[in-house]
Parts: sequence; C-alpha cells; structure tokens
Amino acid sequence: MGAEVQMPPSPDADVIVIGAGPAGMSASVDLARAGRRVIVLDMQSAPGGQIFRGLEPNLAEGEGADALMAALGPAYAAGRDLIGAFRTTPGIEFRPGHTVWEVRTDGTVGWLHGARAGYLRAPHVVLANGAMERPVPFPGWTLPGVMTSGAVQTLLKAGQMVPEGRVVIAGTGPLVFLLADQLRRLGVRPVLLARTDRLSEQIKALRYLSLAALRPLAKGLGWLMRLRLAGVPMRRGVTGIEALGQGRVTAVRLRQGDRMVEVPCDLLIVHDGIVPSIDLAHGAGVRIDWNEGLQAWQPATDDDGQAVSAAGATFAEGPCRILVSGDARCIGGAEAAMAHGRHVAARLVAEATPESGKAVQHSLQPRAFLEAAFPPGLSAPLPSGATTVCRCEEIEARTLEALIASGARDMDHIRGLSRCGMGPCQGRHCAGTLARMIGAQDGVVPGPFRARPPLRPLPLGALATLAGRDPRLTEIVSLDDKPVVSADV
Amino acid sequence: MGLAMFASVVPIRHPVAIDFDGRTLQARAGETVAACLLRAGVTAFRRTPVSGAVRMPYCMIGHCFDCLVEIEGQGALQACLVTVTDGMRVRSLDGAARAGHGG
Repeated sequence: MGAEVQMPPSPDADVIVIGAGPAGMSASVDLARAGRRVIVLDMQSAPGGQIFRGLEPNLAEGEGADALMAALGPAYAAGRDLIGAFRTTPGIEFRPGHTVWEVRTDGTVGWLHGARAGYLRAPHVVLANGAMERPVPFPGWTLPGVMTSGAVQTLLKAGQMVPEGRVVIAGTGPLVFLLADQLRRLGVRPVLLARTDRLSEQIKALRYLSLAALRPLAKGLGWLMRLRLAGVPMRRGVTGIEALGQGRVTAVRLRQGDRMVEVPCDLLIVHDGIVPSIDLAHGAGVRIDWNEGLQAWQPATDDDGQAVSAAGATFAEGPCRILVSGDARCIGGAEAAMAHGRHVAARLVAEATPESGKAVQHSLQPRAFLEAAFPPGLSAPLPSGATTVCRCEEIEARTLEALIASGARDMDHIRGLSRCGMGPCQGRHCAGTLARMIGAQDGVVPGPFRARPPLRPLPLGALATLAGRDPRLTEIVSLDDKPVVSADV
Repeated sequence: MGLAMFASVVPIRHPVAIDFDGRTLQARAGETVAACLLRAGVTAFRRTPVSGAVRMPYCMIGHCFDCLVEIEGQGALQACLVTVTDGMRVRSLDGAARAGHGG
C-alpha cells in the first residue's frame, strides 16, 4: 500500500436523474437551463417514461401511425414538447438502456448498460423512477394471457399492436376506462369490462370533488359514455375473480352479487391502480412508510421531494442527497409529475418560488376524489389457499399463512424461511401482499424486505470490471493468511 | 406457439429478423424482444425453475421478470428491456439454469 492519500472520486455531474419520464425530463430540462450538468439514466432506449412510451417513433412514423396516435389521444401527444426540450437542451447527458442497481444516500449511483457496469456520483440524485401497477394476487394471475393494463398500453405505444381475440378487462380506476376506449378506437371491443368499484363508492367520493377534479371527471365520463355507446358490456361490484386455463388463460370467473359468471377469454387485462416504485429509494436507505389510504408504501420525503434517511446503519455517510419526484414519490399522474419535477429543479437551483410548489399542490388535488371513487378492488381481499403470492419463487398464500400463524412476523425472517421475495424480481410483486397479511394479524403493516444491492440482476463479469469505483473503498489488503510457497521447492 | 395474441396496427416499415428457438421472427427495428415475441404469438417465454409452469410477460415495464429469456447466450435477461438487433439469437428458458447450458 502506498503512502499517498486516496481522494474520493470527483462528481460526474451536478445532478443525476434516474428515469426519463415526465418528472425526470421536467427536472432535467429546468436544471440544465439553469446551467447544471445533468446525467439522466433510463432503462428504456428512448425518453418518455411509460406515459409517453414510444412517442418519438410514433410521431416519426407519420401518416402510418395516425390512427394509433388518434386512439392514444392528446394527453399522449402532449409529451412531444417535453421530449423535444429534453433532447435539445444543452447540459443534459441522456444515457438510455441503463439499469440502476444501487443508489446510496451520499449520491452514488450504480448502473448497468449491456455487459458494462459502474458507479456515478453527484451532489444530488433525483429518483424519478415512476410507479408500478399494484400487484393483484388472485387465483390464476400467473397464467400466460393475464397482463396488466400498463403492459397492454406499452404494447400499443411501443409495439404498435393491439390484442386479438376475446379481451376481458378487470379492475378499477381511470386507466381501465382509458385503455378500453383506446382499444375501442382501434377496433377492439372488449367482451367484458368487469369493474370492482361500486356506484356507492363514487357517490361517497363526491365530497372530495374539487374544481381541479372536474376535468378528469369529465374525461372519465366521456370514456364511459363512448364505451356504452359502443356496446361494451360492463359489470360493477365484481369480486372473487379467477383466471382459468392450462398453460394459458381461457376464461375468467367472477362473482357479481350472488351470481357466479364464467366468461371465455384469450386475454385478461387487470388493473388495480398504481403504486410508487419504491425499490431504488428503499434500497438506498430512504425511510419507507405505509400509506393506509393508498394501501401501498411510499418513500418519506418533504413536499420538495427531499428524502428522509431510514434509521439504522447505511452504506453511506453524510447528509441524504436523494430527492424523489413524480409518481415514485406520490401517485398523481403525468401532469403532477411534471409539476413536481419542475419544483425539484427550482429547489435545487435555489430559485424556489411559491408558484412551483402551488402548481404541485394544484396538480395533486384530483387524487382524493380518484382514490375514494376507485379504491383497490382486485387486491382488496388477502390471498388464501393455493393462490400464488410470490410469482418468482411460486410461494402460495397458505405457506405464508402457516408461517404467520406459527408466530412469524418479521418480513426478512419469513423471506428466509419460505424464499418469498428471493426471486429475480426481489419482492417487487410480493412484499406488499406479505406485509398486508402480517398487518391483518398485528394491525401494523411492516416495512418491505431489507434490500441490498444489486437491486437488479448484475452479471458477474460486469461486477468484476466496475468503472468508477471509489479508490478509498477498493484497496486490496493482503491478509497474509496463505502459506508462502518458495520458488525453489 | 398458439394463435396470435396481438396484431400490428401500423405496417412494419423497417423489419429486422431475430431467431427464437430456431424460428425466424420478424421484428420492428427499435422494439423490444418481448414485443416481437408477443406479436409472433409466443405465449411461453420460459418455464419456471420451481414448478416448470409456463410464463409470459405480465407487466412489460421491467418489474415482473416473467419475460426472462436467453439472449445471445446470456441467460435470464428481461425481454421487455432489450431492443432487438438483426440476427439476434433468443431462446426460451426451460426451468433452472444448468451448468454449461447458456449462462
């Protein structure tokens, strides 16, 4: 070991933004316009996030994609200006196809791109990694042909394709109506729209109806009216959903009141609302809180997105340099994500104006109505019996029930005993369900499984050749624990 | 392979070809491997290591890991996150990885 003092690596940028969706792009553009150097990492090959997924190629397609663009509607096309600004504003270095497998509160970000991996550092890291669909563990949800509404929208936007055959959409929330209407415009008429929500919930939700909620309400009523005119069969208050089939979904069974209905189908699209993607924030050591109203975890942040470190040991020292923005912080949709991304940028360049904060508040106003009108449905009853909870390790509800009944309460303990959450998805689809099962016994929903990097699979070859390592942490110290072999033996 | 589950609504103007389990599939330049396989009617992307159950993409946005396939000899990659390239070789996964089998 040399006597020279190892210096920490210098920052690679002023801000690292993770996710090039509405929040990440808005924050990046405003930061770059204020002279900040921004590195933006995204898993996908192009900017837009899930909401503006595939917008650039669809616009470039011209007339050929006119019908698709018309079906996807003005809210989709509205991403054009933001993506344009994101592409052209100097100071933004966009790195597509980058998976993030580690984030630390000191501003270190571990990335993977193909077979290469490394670390980047910045004084500020903005997590804008968006949302995921709420996991819905019902019998048969792992069958091929059961997909989330987001998956089908991704195939529409980025695959320019529509489902064929008999399509059933089951679940609740505005995205169900939006997707059904988009499919209708492209000539696909779902054979059934099975809604878990009830009219009584919507009537109760009216007390949350603010001026700001009128526009989304009008939009929703428009979709509904067009679906009714198109003769799409619709049921409300549906429960007990099951996907049936061998190796592929062939029918869906559900209850409406006392009646059991079985509907043959080739594709079962499910949607039960969206929840923040907490993987990166949680893995970084940000405190994660259970939001009872949302029935989901959320990273602990202030209104400006500044994250709060969890208690206990962390991988990093110093202040928490992480901010969380957009749906990853608080579900609000694209407009709210853009408003918050701009607000985060304003705070970071210390030009905070009450306007950017007010815009955030205004954009989140419709949420109270939407949450009350469309509460979780498919996921509302806890799974039981042979229903799969952990898709990766194929752990059934009864296995977890037995462990909980025998006294196990700790998430990590149950993970160790059952392998629930140990598969490649790292608990993204089962942690919330297991936590709710524990909460049903104890009245307190625990936090997620303890997370350790890599948060996503990392090839050993990439790990062995990591770029940007901190020299202070990579000194090779000989332990002198091997016998010395002399050369002349 | 079964019936087609998805159909293009925009003509494919810049096709590339990939190989999936020995079958040549047409893909749209720039799309993901998962989108290409679904358009081609593939419903079995893999068999699970635990029970051998058949799986197909569920989320399409990188969370569910049900779209895992072998790409160019590297095992267990998310088909929804990898962009097709002309001549790309893709294989379905059959249960647990074995030594000397792909990756």
